[in-house]
Amino acid sequence: MTTRRQFLQQSAGFTFAIGAGGFISACGAGGPDSASVTSGGSGAEPLQANIWVTIHPDDSIVVKYAGTEMGQGSMTHVPMMLAEHLDADWDKVTVEIVTTHDTAYGNPVFLNMLYTAGSTHVMIYGEKMKVAGTQARKLLKSAVAKQWDVALSELDTELGVVVHASSGRRISYGGIVADIDIPPDIPEIDDSDFKPEENFRYIGKQVMRRDVPSKVDGSAEYSIDVQVPGMLYAAILRAPVEGERPLEVDDVSAREVKGVTEIVVLPYGIGVVGNTVEATQKGKSRLKVTWSEDSAFRHVSTDTSIAEYVGAAKDLSIKGVAWASKGDATGAIDDAAVVVTAMYTTDPAYHAQMEPLNATASVSDDGKSAEIWVGTQTQSLTIIGAAELLETDEANITLHPMTMGGGFGRRSLLRQQYIDDALLLSKAVKRPIKVIWSREDDLEAGHFRTAAAQYMRGGFDNDGKLIAVHHRVAAPAILETMNRHRWAVVKPKDVITMLGSENTTYDIAHHLAEHIRQPRASRVIAFRGVGTGYTKFAMECFIDELAHSKNVDPMEFRLQLCHDNARMTRVIETVADMADWDRKREPGIGLGIALSGYHKSLSAGIVELSVDSVTGRIQIYKFWAVGDPGRVVSPRNAKAQVDGNIIFGLSSTLSERISVKNGIVEQTNFHNYRIMRANEVPDIESIVLSTDNPSSGVGELGTAMVAPAIANAIASLTGRRIRHQPLTPDIVAAALKG
Amino acid sequence: MISFIVNGTSVDVDAEPDTPLLWVIREHLKLTGTKFGCGMALCGACMVHIDGETAYSCVTPASAVQGKKITTIEGLSPESAHPLQKAWVELEVPQCGYCQSGQIMRAAVLLDKNKTPSREEIVSHMSTNLCRCGTYPTIVKAIQRASGQS
Repeated sequence: MTTRRQFLQQSAGFTFAIGAGGFISACGAGGPDSASVTSGGSGAEPLQANIWVTIHPDDSIVVKYAGTEMGQGSMTHVPMMLAEHLDADWDKVTVEIVTTHDTAYGNPVFLNMLYTAGSTHVMIYGEKMKVAGTQARKLLKSAVAKQWDVALSELDTELGVVVHASSGRRISYGGIVADIDIPPDIPEIDDSDFKPEENFRYIGKQVMRRDVPSKVDGSAEYSIDVQVPGMLYAAILRAPVEGERPLEVDDVSAREVKGVTEIVVLPYGIGVVGNTVEATQKGKSRLKVTWSEDSAFRHVSTDTSIAEYVGAAKDLSIKGVAWASKGDATGAIDDAAVVVTAMYTTDPAYHAQMEPLNATASVSDDGKSAEIWVGTQTQSLTIIGAAELLETDEANITLHPMTMGGGFGRRSLLRQQYIDDALLLSKAVKRPIKVIWSREDDLEAGHFRTAAAQYMRGGFDNDGKLIAVHHRVAAPAILETMNRHRWAVVKPKDVITMLGSENTTYDIAHHLAEHIRQPRASRVIAFRGVGTGYTKFAMECFIDELAHSKNVDPMEFRLQLCHDNARMTRVIETVADMADWDRKREPGIGLGIALSGYHKSLSAGIVELSVDSVTGRIQIYKFWAVGDPGRVVSPRNAKAQVDGNIIFGLSSTLSERISVKNGIVEQTNFHNYRIMRANEVPDIESIVLSTDNPSSGVGELGTAMVAPAIANAIASLTGRRIRHQPLTPDIVAAALKG
Repeated sequence: MISFIVNGTSVDVDAEPDTPLLWVIREHLKLTGTKFGCGMALCGACMVHIDGETAYSCVTPASAVQGKKITTIEGLSPESAHPLQKAWVELEVPQCGYCQSGQIMRAAVLLDKNKTPSREEIVSHMSTNLCRCGTYPTIVKAIQRASGQS
């Protein structure tokens, strides 16, 4: 039997094998020190039952949260799942964010890094919370059973209290910690120990997110709000073209600005340091810099890059890296009776998180340790990246992960430039430095959703059955630029680029999704939905094209292809019902459907719209959406996420485009990168189904189905296919002309 | 030296006259509830009340508020008891939350002038404030709730 000390020491990346005998296997390296374990004896010491939960003699409980919060809610919901299984009073629980790169808390999807992305947090940590909470509950019960000399089976729990029904004796969890010897051994658990779902108080119910009250009174602290004693501010003038450096710097006028204290030349730009934000901004505006003008990106523009991607996608002699493969798609298409092909293109898009990127850092005088305050999606990569920059040990980096004013994938790099900015400047001037990027900086130095070209080929047999789909994605390897360590492990398969191109939805005998790697046209990164943002556009538009080629209603076509996928069928039928798909609309109003889904979560959407073929303006009347993320942890939050995703998708489809011209991002602020406003939001009706499947995430569920639903609706209205995203008025008008 | 009243308190700030009020509030006065979003009066995250009207503090020079009354999100209501704040919490409006100070400040002047705005009036009025997380539908519901319309 494993002792708690051993358990705590071995707890990195563990999985639990629970079954007969309740065997627990712990594997992997690392683990926190077990200084606060109580073993034997009693008293005022808190009980660290496992790495996730500590119970105090006063009944208060601390649960660790391994992620970070960006509005998705998992900082409440995941610890809440532990409280549920511990049968603790959630009101007595405090959540503590893990601030160190401790792989014991890591996410196995991301090589045991602490990394909040890919809608994985509830999916992965929910299981850990279930086991940790159940174990802790059994530990407490076992201690009482021994002390009261009763059978374990005679004890039950009620919201933080152990109860012995037959004698009426009760003791709170805090009371147990205070007065009863806790055995050092971790109890084995099996299925019979888990709290039955019908007894859930919190999971699946309405529990307020803990971060909400501070977000309505101005007290929530984002990294841009940080105040550190002795802090100076900094503005960065970055080389407009990636990879260039300053050659000549005329800072005479900048230094004359009252409040500017130092001007620091960096490898990629200039840092203007000062006593006030305004001084640094003014100083930056007065710099005159000659750049090296030697970057290869000077010759890169998104239009020409996309044209190259198109050429590569179409050239079948260029073999890509298979991302997903079933049967022999290329062979089946060669033999097919009818082949349909289509090319789809995608422009880059900007996260437009409302908080411009920023970081505060305080580097020690010897340059070998640092304290960082930053909104980040990854404690681990931030610490690793900072240690790398300073050429020091990770243990010397103290991180304060702050709540984020929007993440959407933007804050997930190994080396985040705004953190590098703050570290380098703090090291240079030996003061804490708060670097605040302007919105213009945020766009100019943006990492974007990639541009892409996708060539789809579909083959029908003699009976008119769709038997093969070949999906060629010509795009950069995004993961390579995000985190070269992770890329080294997983290459050449790039989940960020390719996600969504695997076919888990339709019954198609032969399917191949391959990645034809291309040089990037801009800095690139995961963008909400990652690959699904464009792979679902291609696939869902193509499914409509295939349906139309056979004169089959696209809804009916999908249902036929999902004949063996009951879960997806239910989602499709539900949304079809909501939208009354079969009801004929007035002339000029059309419907389009698309499925997306994200990992194992499913979704389908229908849009009702009209389009002005002269101006290209699309008028969206209504969007219906159904999501199925498995067992829903928080119904209200899940719906808020789905609705938010749809608005994100509508905005990025209708009015957002990043264009790079000769290495320079052409968009500079919200006047030329337009995001959807309150008076532009159509009527949205959404349902989130809680189904008997493992919880699989809602944070990116819905974005990807918007663009194809819109393109499909326009096609059904006008007969014209628009095979490009975004569907901005100029693109739409050009496609509908003539 | 620029003197004005913030949330009922008189302040004297040593800042250049052309300093955006946003930075005076946030970094000089340490009232960080008002947010920086774009610097060009396009997003509304920086909204405060100046003499009872919303203003984009990012493009308002400090000199322009000499002698004026400013209200920030921190001063909207003691104990965060404004009906809008209560509705915002009840309906769990914020996601990342960064835009919400500006949203609430903007909504507050609507209800000051129009006790029961229609849905069209609400979305038209609120179109000045961007939300990237897409909380617009719940913002509308919260304003309707705060105005006793739902």
